[in-house]
Amino acid sequence: MSMLIKGGEIASEQGAPVRGDVLIEKGVITAVGENLEAPEGTEEVDANGKVVAPAMFDAHVHFREPGQEYKEDIAHGTEAAINGGVTGVVMMPNTSPAIDSASVVRTVLEKAREVSRIPVYTSGCITKGRAGEELAGIDGMRNLGVVMLTDDGDPVANPAVLRNAMEYATPFGMFFASHCEIAELSGPRALNEGKVSYQLGIKGTPACSEEICMDRDIRLAHATGARVHIQHVSSAIGMETIRWWKERGARVTAEVSPHHLIFNEEDIGEYDTHYKMNPPLRTSEDNAALLEGLKEGVFDLIATDHAPHSEFEKGQDFVSAPNGITGLESALVSLHDRFIATGLVGWDLIVKRYSAEPRRMMGLEPVPIEEGKTADLIIFDPSGETTFSRDFMKSRSVNTPFLDQTLRGRVEMVLRGDEVLLQREAS
Amino acid sequence: MARKDFLDIASLSREEVDLLLDQATPFKELFTRSVKKVPTLKGKSVLMLFYEPSTRTLSSFEVAAKRLSADVIELDVPHSSVTKGETVKDTVDTLQAMRADYIVVRHKMSGLPQAIARQTRASVINAGDGSHAHPTQALLDAFTLKEVFPELSGRKVLIAGDILHSRVARSTSSLLLKLGVEVGFLGPGSLVPRTGPEGITRFTDFDEALRWGPDAVYLLRVQMERQEAQYFPSVHEYHQVYGVTQDRFARIQGEGTYIMHPGPVNRGVELCHEVMDYERSLINQQVENGIAARMAVLYWLKPQTDSQEAERE
Amino acid sequence: MSVLLDEAAMGEAVASLAGEIRAVAEHGRVAIVGIRSRGDEVAERVSAILKEAGIEHDYGMLDISLYRDDLSHLAENPKLQSSEISFQVDGSHIVLVDDVLFTGRTIRAALDALTDYGRPARIQLAVLIDRGHREIPIQPDYSGVKLETARMDHVIVRLKKTDGEDAVELVTTP
Repeated sequence: MSMLIKGGEIASEQGAPVRGDVLIEKGVITAVGENLEAPEGTEEVDANGKVVAPAMFDAHVHFREPGQEYKEDIAHGTEAAINGGVTGVVMMPNTSPAIDSASVVRTVLEKAREVSRIPVYTSGCITKGRAGEELAGIDGMRNLGVVMLTDDGDPVANPAVLRNAMEYATPFGMFFASHCEIAELSGPRALNEGKVSYQLGIKGTPACSEEICMDRDIRLAHATGARVHIQHVSSAIGMETIRWWKERGARVTAEVSPHHLIFNEEDIGEYDTHYKMNPPLRTSEDNAALLEGLKEGVFDLIATDHAPHSEFEKGQDFVSAPNGITGLESALVSLHDRFIATGLVGWDLIVKRYSAEPRRMMGLEPVPIEEGKTADLIIFDPSGETTFSRDFMKSRSVNTPFLDQTLRGRVEMVLRGDEVLLQREAS
Repeated sequence: MARKDFLDIASLSREEVDLLLDQATPFKELFTRSVKKVPTLKGKSVLMLFYEPSTRTLSSFEVAAKRLSADVIELDVPHSSVTKGETVKDTVDTLQAMRADYIVVRHKMSGLPQAIARQTRASVINAGDGSHAHPTQALLDAFTLKEVFPELSGRKVLIAGDILHSRVARSTSSLLLKLGVEVGFLGPGSLVPRTGPEGITRFTDFDEALRWGPDAVYLLRVQMERQEAQYFPSVHEYHQVYGVTQDRFARIQGEGTYIMHPGPVNRGVELCHEVMDYERSLINQQVENGIAARMAVLYWLKPQTDSQEAERE
Repeated sequence: MSVLLDEAAMGEAVASLAGEIRAVAEHGRVAIVGIRSRGDEVAERVSAILKEAGIEHDYGMLDISLYRDDLSHLAENPKLQSSEISFQVDGSHIVLVDDVLFTGRTIRAALDALTDYGRPARIQLAVLIDRGHREIPIQPDYSGVKLETARMDHVIVRLKKTDGEDAVELVTTP
C-alpha cells in the first residue's frame, strides 16, 4: 500500500507543525516535503487544515485481563487506544491474578499478539500478588521483555522490600514505577482532603500522603542507583519534589495524567464517581502547577491511567465505588480541547510528552514523521469534534467524565506500518 | 416551591429556610392541644430506613409522622454498611416494592440518601449520612435558637467537639451561617479541619473561644472510637481541655450563655453533671422541637407518588 | 371580570352578618373563630362590632391547612399559619366565620380542626358570601350575601387588611 498525505500540518517534538506532504510506501515514510508527487497507484489523502502527528503511546493503562474482563480486556482496550490515536500501551500488573511471574506475562503477551492490532507491553509486579512482601519472579519476566516493575494500585509499603527490589533488579536493566501514597495517611482513598471532603463529609486523602511516599521512593532509587518513574502526580508539591530531585541528578522520570491537569475536587459536585480516582483530583492551584510542570519538563510524559470500571461498580456510593476513570479514548482530544485549542500548549509538547518520551522510557524508538521511519501516525482534525457517546467508545466501560460530552478535535485516521487502523469520515 | 427531597442544608435557599422555620411554630403549637394529631398525611406511608442505630432520631421522626397521621413502616435493615457489592440501585428496587411516599434514611455512607433520592419517586429525607449532613437536626437547632433569639443575625454560636466527623456540625453551622449567625468551631486540632468552610472562626482553646463571646455553646457528642484512633489521648484529657468543666460552667453561667447538645450526652465528657440542670440548657427543648421541625419538613415535601392534579380553588 | 360588591356593599354585608350573630351573642357567650385566611379578617370585623356594642365574647383563628382533603392534589402545600384558640373549647358556643362558602370542604376541615381542640357545646357557621355549589351537606347559619354563580366561576374576595381594599369580584371562565 502506498499513501500520500497532502497538505497537512506535520507535528513533531521540535517545534510548531510544518506544512507538508508525507509519502508512505509499504509502511515506510519515504518522503516528507512540499508538493510531493504521488507515484502511480498511490492513495491520496487530503490533510488540508489537519494535523499529521506521530501516534501516541500510553505508558499507564489497566486492561483488567486476566480476571476482570467485564471491566476491560486486551481486545477492547487496544481498540479504545486506537480510537484515541494511541498505537502502543504499557499494561499495569494489578490484574487477577497479578502479572507477577513469567507465566502470567506470557499469557498476557500471547493474548495481545492474538487480539491486538497495536503493540502491547506489560509491566510486572515488584512483589508477589502486589502484597508488598515477597519479590516477584523478576528474572522470568525480564526474559519475556518486561522492563518496568511496579505494584501500581498500591505502593510497596515496606521501604526495605522496595530497596531490595531496586538493588536486585537494577543490574537487569529494569526500572521501577511508583504509585505513591502512605496507606495510613490516605484513609478511605476517595477524594482529596480539603474543602470538598469537608463539605461531602468523607475523610480525604491529603496530598502529603503521596508526596512523602514519592520522596521516599526517589530517595531509595537515588541511594541504590535505580531508575524510578513516578506515576500520576497530582499535586503542586509533588511536582516540585520531582523537580528538586531532578536538579540533584536523581534518575527519576514522572508522568501526569490528563484528568489531573483538567479537573479538580470541585468537579465532584454531589458525589459524582466519574471524578473519583487515586490519587484524587486536588485543587485548581494544583491544576495550574501541574500544567507548568508539564511545560517546564518536570513531567517527562503524559499517561492516562486508563482504569475501566463497570457502571454497576461506579453506581455504588462514593466511598464504595472503585477508583479510576477511562482515558485512552478521550486523552488526546481532551488535551487538544483544553490546552492546544486554547493556545496554552503547542502540538510539539503533546508529541514529545505523549508520543516520544513514553516510548523512550520503555526503551523504544520514537515514531517521528521523518523519511526512512516506519509510519506510525495519526491525522487529527482540530476543527472537528468528538462526542464521547457509548456508541463512540470501544472500551468495555464508559466511566469517563466526558461521557456524552462533545469536545473540540477529532482523530480521523490512525496509520501504523501499512495498516490503516482507523479511518473516520471527515467531519 | 415545594421540593421532593430534603437532603442537605447547602442547597436550601434563605427563603426555604425561613419558610421551614416559620412553619415549625404552628406544628409545635399542636403539642399543647388535647389531640396532638392532625390528619394531613392520612393514607401516606413513611418508611424508616435506619442503617445506623439511633433511637432518638428514629423516634422523633416516628412521632412526627404519626402526628401527621401517616403510616410508619420501620424496615429492618442491618445496622452495618450496605453489604459489599450491593449497589444503591438494589436498595432502591427493594424500596420501590414498599410503595412508600416518604423515605427517612440514615446511613454511615456520606451521600447515600442523595443516591437513593435520584432513583425513587418517594420523598427522601436525610436523617444523617456519614459525616456529611443531618439537615433536620440543623433545622431544629436553628428553630430552638430562634425561640430564645428571635433575631438570629449577628449572634455567635460556638460549636465544640469532633467537628471533623460531625454531620451535625456541618449542617447546623451551614444553616446558622445562612441566617447570619457568626459560627466558631472549637475542638482538638486533630478534630477541627483546617480547610473548613469560609466564615467560621477556628478555636483550639476553650477559654479563648469563650472570650470570643458566644451566645450559645453547642457541644457535640464525643464518639469513643475517636480516642481509640488517637485523635486525643484520653477521655479525661478531653474533658479537661475541651469539655464544660465546673470552672468553665461557672463562666458560662456568669455570661448567661445557652448550652445545646444533639444528645445523647456523655456526662463527664462533653459537660459536667451540673450543666444538665442549668436553666439556660436548651437540650430538652431541642428534643421537643425536633418533632415540630420534622413535621414541618414532611408537610413541605411533595413526593412524586401521587398523580398531581391542577390546583383546585 | 365584574365587581359584585364594592366597599360600601361589603360593609353592609359585614354589618348584617354581625347583626345576626349579635342576636345570639346577647343571650349567651359565643366564641367568634375565623378561618385563615380572610375568614379571620371577617371574624375580626364582626368581633369589633360586637365589642363596640359592649358584648363580651371570645375570639380565635383557625388555620385548616393540615385538615384539607386535597393536599395530594396540590403542587405545593399552603403556607401554614398559627391557629389561635386560647379559650376553653369544651362546652363553648362557637361561631365559625369564613369569607366565602362554596363546596363546604373548608368548613368540613374546620370542624375537624375545632373538635381536635375540645368538644364545643355548639358550632354555628357564619359566612360573608354564600355562592352555592355545595359538595357536602353543610349550610350556613348566617350569611351576609347570597350570590348566584356558575360552578367554574371564581369568586375573589379582597379585604382591606389582607389585600388593601374591600371588594368582591367574579371571574367567569369561558
